[in-house]
Amino acid sequence: MDSLQNIKRRIKGIGNINQITKAMELVAATKMRRSQELALTSRPYAFAALDFLATLSQLDGVVLPAILEQRPIEKKLVVLVTSDKGLCGSFNSAIIREFERFLKKNSISFKDPAYAFLAIGQKAGQYLERRTKNLAGKFTRVGDYTTLEQIKPVADKVVAGFLNKEWDEVMVFSTQFRSALKQDVLTRKILPVSFENLKKSAQDIVPETGKFAEIAREGGTLIHTDKKEAKEYIIEPSPEVILNELGAHLVLMEIYHMILEANASEHAARRVAMKNASDNAEGLAADLTLIYNKSRQASITKEIIEIVAGAEVMN
Amino acid sequence: MKLSVYSLKKILYQGEASSINCQTVSGEITILEHHRPLLSMLKEGVLRILDGKKQEHFLPVKSGFLEVNKDSQVRMIVEE
Repeated sequence: MDSLQNIKRRIKGIGNINQITKAMELVAATKMRRSQELALTSRPYAFAALDFLATLSQLDGVVLPAILEQRPIEKKLVVLVTSDKGLCGSFNSAIIREFERFLKKNSISFKDPAYAFLAIGQKAGQYLERRTKNLAGKFTRVGDYTTLEQIKPVADKVVAGFLNKEWDEVMVFSTQFRSALKQDVLTRKILPVSFENLKKSAQDIVPETGKFAEIAREGGTLIHTDKKEAKEYIIEPSPEVILNELGAHLVLMEIYHMILEANASEHAARRVAMKNASDNAEGLAADLTLIYNKSRQASITKEIIEIVAGAEVMN
Repeated sequence: MKLSVYSLKKILYQGEASSINCQTVSGEITILEHHRPLLSMLKEGVLRILDGKKQEHFLPVKSGFLEVNKDSQVRMIVEE
């Protein structure tokens, strides 16, 4: 058994760790709420943008701009969205595991020139840099909650590559925030732009349970415009120009949403991990206190025995 | 008519409006009640809204899109 002093020092150390993890848990909870809020406030915007796209796509004889074009898929870009920091349980490894499963299933090697990879977040960057030469880019510090300014370079890169035919399809591995306790890895296709995918991801912003699920149910629906009504529209300057701009905008918006959702998931995962850590620390401290008291008692008993034995010898 | 102005960060305006003045890529326009359905792009400028109580609101806009639908509801998505 350790000496009393040693045990005491360990109890103190564990107490400090407990304090830190508890603080991190609280911080992560607040950040999670904030990033959820941000994702939800952008929902009416997303629905309005989708409506505009729907109206425009009802028109006859509109030439689709390059960004909305479906072309034969030869090259693919795979984007991995992870966090910058660790200490968030299996958040990052879940994404990487899913990604590796995808590689295995389609027997893709990292050297395959038909695939390019893009990393968002430090962890994905480290993972991909070590393995592949086809790294299209690495974006880090998307932050606790991302801003549009931070997303812009990412979206520009993805869109520019698509327009220059560096890739014909863009797939994203990111985390979907289903509730504060449940996050899933989700694979989405963000380019070429398709109405169905966009609509799905706008609806996915709402978590299944919790405070924000209630709020979101109240608003945000699509208004349907049929063919005849679409013809009534005056479109300035021309459907092609608007579609082109709108397409780029929708991609930006989708990446923004995706990363916000990943942010919310990261904070949720971190909160759970930190909660487990504090619980463990508490358990450990309780065990050690018990050992400490036992050994203290043992040493007192030993002293008494020594005194009694001494007294008996004197008699 | 009902007007909603959304940005990605927040809802900038939602409510009744009697007149909306804005800069589109094809020139400055003012939207009044019973406007024809319209889809257009906004360019940098100031959005001037006259609400139901004759109060003026000004919103700066960097770029965006504008829609007037058949029920003369106006929706805008803007970048500030």
